[in-house]
Amino acid sequence: MNQTHTKSTLLWGATALGALGVLGSYFAAGPERFWANWVLWFVLMFTLGLGSLFIVALEHLVAAKWSVPVRRIPERLATLLLPAIPVGLIALCALPVLYPGSRPEAAHHPILAGKAFWLSVPFFSVRTLIAFGLSVLGLAVLVGGSLKQDTTKDPAFNFRARKFAPAFMAIFALVITLVAFDWLSGLTPEWYSDIFGVYVFAGAFLSGLAATTLSVLYLQDRDRLEGVRGDHLYNLGGFLFAFTVFWSYIGFAQYMLMWYANMPDEVLYYKVRLTGSWRAITIALASLHFILPFFALVTRDAKKDPKRLRLVAILMLGAHVLDVYWLIFPALGAKPYFSWPELSFALFFIGGIVLWVRGAMQKGEDMPVGDPFLPEGLEFRL
Amino acid sequence: MSETSYSVLGIFDTPDALMQAIPQVRAAQLGTVEAYTPYPIHGIDEALGLRRSPLGGMVLVMGILGAITALGAQYWISAIDYPIVTGGKAPSSWEAFIPIMFEVTVLFATFTAGLGMLFLLNKLPFFGHPVLSSKSITGITRDRYALALEADNEAFDSAAAARVLKEAGAVEVEVLPAPDRSPFLTSDYILRTLGGIFAACVVSGLAMFFATKWFPLLAPMKYMQDQPRLNPQKASAFFKDGHGMQQPVAGTVARGHLPTATGTQEAAAVLVNPLPRTKDVFNLGRKAYMIRCEVCHGAIGNGVGSLTAAYGGKPANLQAQQFRDYPDGKIYWVIVNGKNAMPAHAADLTETQRWAVVHYVRALQRAQNAKDEDLKVVAP
Repeated sequence: MNQTHTKSTLLWGATALGALGVLGSYFAAGPERFWANWVLWFVLMFTLGLGSLFIVALEHLVAAKWSVPVRRIPERLATLLLPAIPVGLIALCALPVLYPGSRPEAAHHPILAGKAFWLSVPFFSVRTLIAFGLSVLGLAVLVGGSLKQDTTKDPAFNFRARKFAPAFMAIFALVITLVAFDWLSGLTPEWYSDIFGVYVFAGAFLSGLAATTLSVLYLQDRDRLEGVRGDHLYNLGGFLFAFTVFWSYIGFAQYMLMWYANMPDEVLYYKVRLTGSWRAITIALASLHFILPFFALVTRDAKKDPKRLRLVAILMLGAHVLDVYWLIFPALGAKPYFSWPELSFALFFIGGIVLWVRGAMQKGEDMPVGDPFLPEGLEFRL
Repeated sequence: MSETSYSVLGIFDTPDALMQAIPQVRAAQLGTVEAYTPYPIHGIDEALGLRRSPLGGMVLVMGILGAITALGAQYWISAIDYPIVTGGKAPSSWEAFIPIMFEVTVLFATFTAGLGMLFLLNKLPFFGHPVLSSKSITGITRDRYALALEADNEAFDSAAAARVLKEAGAVEVEVLPAPDRSPFLTSDYILRTLGGIFAACVVSGLAMFFATKWFPLLAPMKYMQDQPRLNPQKASAFFKDGHGMQQPVAGTVARGHLPTATGTQEAAAVLVNPLPRTKDVFNLGRKAYMIRCEVCHGAIGNGVGSLTAAYGGKPANLQAQQFRDYPDGKIYWVIVNGKNAMPAHAADLTETQRWAVVHYVRALQRAQNAKDEDLKVVAP
């Protein structure tokens, strides 16, 4: 008990320290860098919540039974969407600072002038609000309904969720594409890529999976989630393994087509990232996001080994942060920023996310006890 | 001679009874324990003590081998053996190799998985597994669960095996004969297989022949007959001038060709003879000169050839001061285009031959106007 208390104090302390650093960085490092960091952590938080919600919806969509015992974990992680919304509303202040399409010069830019309405601050904000509204709708139906089922034990929820899941997939596709196109690729509005939304989806899904795996292992260490075995872990590990390949497939496909075609408006995006210090970061990203987890998870035993899975999940989350950093920060210039402002932001937001998730993990049942498929899910064997 | 039995089958009514019997039967150590069930039973792999399949490792190794093979082959072809710059990319660009590497990795891995499983691990082809001809097989494929003790050496005791299975709770016991492990690649088998392939080819060939004959609209693979193209010597609406064949762009020289004299003779004066003055070149020029030029211009180029006497023509005397002062390009121009009564020789002499003739004409002029110091050069 005492130990938990100390940990809790440490977490709050670290978060508060991070908050001080965040405030200080606005004045010391300038608004551009401040808002870039803010957008980075908004996107990370929002896509983590959205990716987790996608896992929940996927289970309902395909009527998976094996994942019912661990479903409460992504459901709790998906509630991160709620704190992500105020963070996102504050992030709207970044528009005139960071996003070229929202600056007054854009009216004279031959390309941006044509997209003026789409990139304008009011329409950008409206789209973001629509994305928030749609994701809260998904959260209310899928997670809210599941929490209510704990007490009502009403199997009608399963039918409702199964009917809603296909619609949510369409909503999800729209929301993640809006996040990707507006918040990430909006930083370089001359550049565009059709596959970019899918690329961001792959990262979001992976981060949701990694956080779910990590939380499952965390709860298992505390003897909760009784009945969840290596077979369940194996499926989570298999998903992680498969989607590291998916992420790199999409990432490389996008890169290779642009590299081949060599169109000036397209290659500029990669030119920045493949020269100078960014080159090393790009190589590190490919290694940490694909090569290392791929070989770490390639054997059958590795996919259900808790120690291995924990390391890979932490690695995946770190690599995902690096991935979004790699998407956002080159817009600030050829020199990658990494110093105390970035560290304070990381401290503040990681602390906040961990505190939120920890709080969510303490509330209610650890498994969807009202779900009629729970016993079948616990029986799951490979 | 009594038939050696291959295995003893013990039949159980429920999967639980089968699972309970496994440790007991394994403990007897009479032979290999194998189970036959209508559907997979969870945990039976561990209970039987089956070793981990080596297939995964084989697939990984072959997959990596596939990636390396594709990388090596492409690198050797594109960067070493026949480097061609495509789309402005360096011949050794790794990005272009990745899709093929991916495909070959998948190819090697899937073939290893499929063929390795069937032939290396399952040891196919194996016609007529004895269990398939047992009496119990109908039950095993439906609602019975069989545990088999299979012979792993010559001293297999089927009576003891049957007793162990009975004690373990088998409701029924069946002794199976040894399987027919005779080689399957007999001449009969090969002939039948080849005959079958031949018959299939004949049937499908005939079917295709008549199908395309009776239903000509179904002619397969004729799409490329209908592509837009330019035919030589034919008109085309594609270009502005209406010609299918286009003139080369002014001032350009095709790869592997030498500059041609197309303008006026004065314009050709700037052309420089690209050939070196070697013995081979002079021999080439001499040969061409003797075939094409000598009849008119004479063996020493003085304009007195054999045709002069016969027809009274007046070819140029190449030894005249006017022609000795000609730059190489102007002589070349005359060979290509002809002059006065002299016809063009472009069709008769290759570019190399023409320039060699120019060299040879220069040699003739110098030979007829030799100076004292020329003798010194020849001395040794």
